Amino acid sequence: MSENLTASSPSAGSMQAGLPAPVAGRRRNGVIERTLAELSHAMEHSLFSEDIARKPGLLQSLDPRVKLLSMLALLIAVGLSRSLLVIAGLYVITLVLAWRSAIPVGFFIKRVWLFLPFFTGVIALPALFLTPGPALLQLPLDLVVTRTGLMTALFLLLRVSTSVSMAALLTFTTPWIDVLKALGVLRMPEAVILIFGMTYRYIYLLLNTANDMFLSRKSRVVGRTTGADQRRMMGASAGVLLGKSMRLSSEVYLAMQSRGFRGHARMPGTASFSIRARDWVAVIVVAIVTVGAIWLGQ
Amino acid sequence: MLNSPSYMHVPDGMLSPLTSLIMFLLVLPFWYKGARGLSKRVNARNVPLIALMAAFSFIVMMFNVPLPGGTSGHAVAGALVAIILGPGVATIAISIALVIQAIFFGDGGILQIGANCFNMAVVLPYVAYGIYSLISANSSVTSVRRVIGAALGGWVGLTVAALVTAVEFGLQPLLWHAADGTPLYAPYPLNVAIPAMVIPHLLVASVIEGLVGAAVVLYLQRANPAILQLFTKQTVATGTVAPGRLRLLWIGLLALIVATPLGLLAPGTAWGEWSADELSRMGLGIVPQGMSTMQGLWGAPLADYGIPALGNTSLGYVLSAVAGVGLIVVVSWLLSRLLAGMTRSQKPAVPALQESEQK
Amino acid sequence: MNNETIFDLQDVSFAYEGKQTALEHVSLSINAGERIVVLGSNGSGKSTLLKLLDGLYFATVGVVNAYGQPLTEVAFDDDAFNFAFRRKVGLVFQDTDVQLFSPSVWEEVAFAPMQMGLGKAEVNARVDSALHALRIEKLRDRAPHRLSGGEKRRVALASVLTLQPDVWLLDEPTTGLDPRSQSWLVNFIVDQGRAGHTVITATHDLSIVDAIADRVYVFDEAHHVVAQGTPHAILSNNELLLACNLSHDHVHRHDDGNEHMHPHVHPLAHTHTHALKREA
Repeated sequence: MSENLTASSPSAGSMQAGLPAPVAGRRRNGVIERTLAELSHAMEHSLFSEDIARKPGLLQSLDPRVKLLSMLALLIAVGLSRSLLVIAGLYVITLVLAWRSAIPVGFFIKRVWLFLPFFTGVIALPALFLTPGPALLQLPLDLVVTRTGLMTALFLLLRVSTSVSMAALLTFTTPWIDVLKALGVLRMPEAVILIFGMTYRYIYLLLNTANDMFLSRKSRVVGRTTGADQRRMMGASAGVLLGKSMRLSSEVYLAMQSRGFRGHARMPGTASFSIRARDWVAVIVVAIVTVGAIWLGQ
Repeated sequence: MLNSPSYMHVPDGMLSPLTSLIMFLLVLPFWYKGARGLSKRVNARNVPLIALMAAFSFIVMMFNVPLPGGTSGHAVAGALVAIILGPGVATIAISIALVIQAIFFGDGGILQIGANCFNMAVVLPYVAYGIYSLISANSSVTSVRRVIGAALGGWVGLTVAALVTAVEFGLQPLLWHAADGTPLYAPYPLNVAIPAMVIPHLLVASVIEGLVGAAVVLYLQRANPAILQLFTKQTVATGTVAPGRLRLLWIGLLALIVATPLGLLAPGTAWGEWSADELSRMGLGIVPQGMSTMQGLWGAPLADYGIPALGNTSLGYVLSAVAGVGLIVVVSWLLSRLLAGMTRSQKPAVPALQESEQK
Repeated sequence: MNNETIFDLQDVSFAYEGKQTALEHVSLSINAGERIVVLGSNGSGKSTLLKLLDGLYFATVGVVNAYGQPLTEVAFDDDAFNFAFRRKVGLVFQDTDVQLFSPSVWEEVAFAPMQMGLGKAEVNARVDSALHALRIEKLRDRAPHRLSGGEKRRVALASVLTLQPDVWLLDEPTTGLDPRSQSWLVNFIVDQGRAGHTVITATHDLSIVDAIADRVYVFDEAHHVVAQGTPHAILSNNELLLACNLSHDHVHRHDDGNEHMHPHVHPLAHTHTHALKREA
């Protein structure tokens, strides 16, 4: 009866088995391996955050709707504030919240700063030199760090990292299914919420399919392949995946029809949520912090 | 927090909240148009289709694609999805993938969902589809024109999307800076932002987008041609209406390109602050080197048009951006005309995969 | 009641949009409360037949009647008919990744009663009782991608059980199950039959046929019904099974060094003897 009640699915297992060895330097079939690494990274990330979301903690105990709206309010506060100090203060608050919510703080900081979207680094760094303003520091090669440039770069880095941290707080402390239901608060059509749920569900299936596909290709590829070969291979892999997605979608449509789906999605919604005293406290605190941050930041 | 698929996922903090709001309002009608039909029975089939295509684009964004010369990168796959589902449905599918990326993987800001969806789920698929359908109009399903159309559509589509993103960035320092001139959000003006975004896209990211689209179309022509006919079938069914609809698409697209920068300017009215004085200081100032080269790169074509009446060179950059897009549009249109004239090919065969689900 | 005809097919053929044929000249009749096995190898048309019976595909030629009414696209355009039919007939797809499209087990199991427009309390009650019946209460908040093959199959059954259907259509329900789950599944089907429900199972798994069928229809690879009869009659007809690619010759070497070849079948477990074997 309970022989199958194990924690991880066989597919997740095969994902694990598919973890590529750390890639040192550029390898011959680097494209496949890098793709595999990204696929497993995505899978691990979500399994990991689902696990934290089910631990007891401060943010875990709040209503997902309250968390979602609080996050949006605080993100706006970060966006509107014009003081580096205020934004830094908000960043410290995210660290405290992470600590109180069973998220390893060291991991939380590293995650945000190490994986800070590459984009931001690329933009923030040259801003040090490219922004006109009073000179602050003379570097070799005629590079001058301007005061304005430094401020701009700090604004960017702090805003981005604080915002990313806030989004991470929500996803680390809320099971996906609850985030999904909470989206209903934003007055999204039910059909769209239905699609969100299905998308998330099938991302995992296609992750596994892609993972298996690349593993088998990796095992078959011996010797050097040309860029053109690899492009053809990537194109064919995407094509296979696309074909599978299309077939699945028509089959899934039949399965939905069979159980009465007629286009009018009826979803359970947020019935299972309940606002408790602590949620009201959270709402009040967030409102004060938001207004305060915007006011102080002017 | 995964490697960004291209440099296009705008994080929170890059755009002012007001810009984010405007971008959100701009994308809203496209979402509305795409979602409106979903609860109708005739379109019920689109519910799982969009979900699967959103999941598909999410996964394909993780594929590493090598470029000649040793680098590799990711495609957004927006062009591909538009070719298969049409731009309206593609908008919804890619938007959903982008929202999941933003919320769960920190790729792209949550307040920037409007901007990111506008750039990658509206501009990219509409431009790519427009070019693809012009080039491949009336071609057989195995025609090489479809491959060329997919390649060119992806390449131009993502480049235009990058341009639109650059305009969003470039307007930030004009509109929002502290009293001492410190830019509060994206720091570079249009004359830096546009070449910095557009040139690498032209050479790398957009090339990948085009290559992926072409490679997949090539594969589908051999292995699964029915998929390529899913959407075009509808235009075939409505017969002669198709060209008219396409023209409408182009007009809408042009209006969009023009409206984007102007729409962003309207509420800011910060033009005066960016005085010629300041501009010249910037030009002569501390980092003239890179700045003036970039300025030369981008500013040259329209330099003689000068807009002294407006007393503002930045507007020149906006206009030159629009003109650049216009140029691409005209070239694509001429090219497709030429190709269409050369090959009077047969009508597509009756597709065999699914019923048409849209009226 | 027990003699009421549920499904009646007269010379039905089906082809996927102008392409390959999936069913040819199929005639069959199924009564209320019967337990039927549709036996055939992969690609023989079993799945297609179940989709025709469930009103998901429509006959290219001929008529499929259910409860005395023809199943046509036009008939299903009528909301009342669609509603009534979907409540009575439930299909469990072979691929659980198709059947389970919701983000959590609870939502999956609640999907059918929600679409039926049932009230909140009724939906909750039905979901709870289905989760209980399949002993998967613990899984209610799980995501489908974190379930094992056996768990997925249970959730798939629960997602149809909440419809409380009169007719069960099961497509290859033993796919991907280990032996213990398989015997549990057989019990589930037996229980549904005892409760008076009609259970139609498509399978190529000969080992479960005897336990879950009163009557068997056999499909050959040309998509025809080539035989029908009691499980015993069908399972003991080795030529038939071989011809329909439901068993294969089995070669093995005995201790004395002689090679024996005999049809490899899994008929009634306790009546299997080497009487079937013949010299190579």
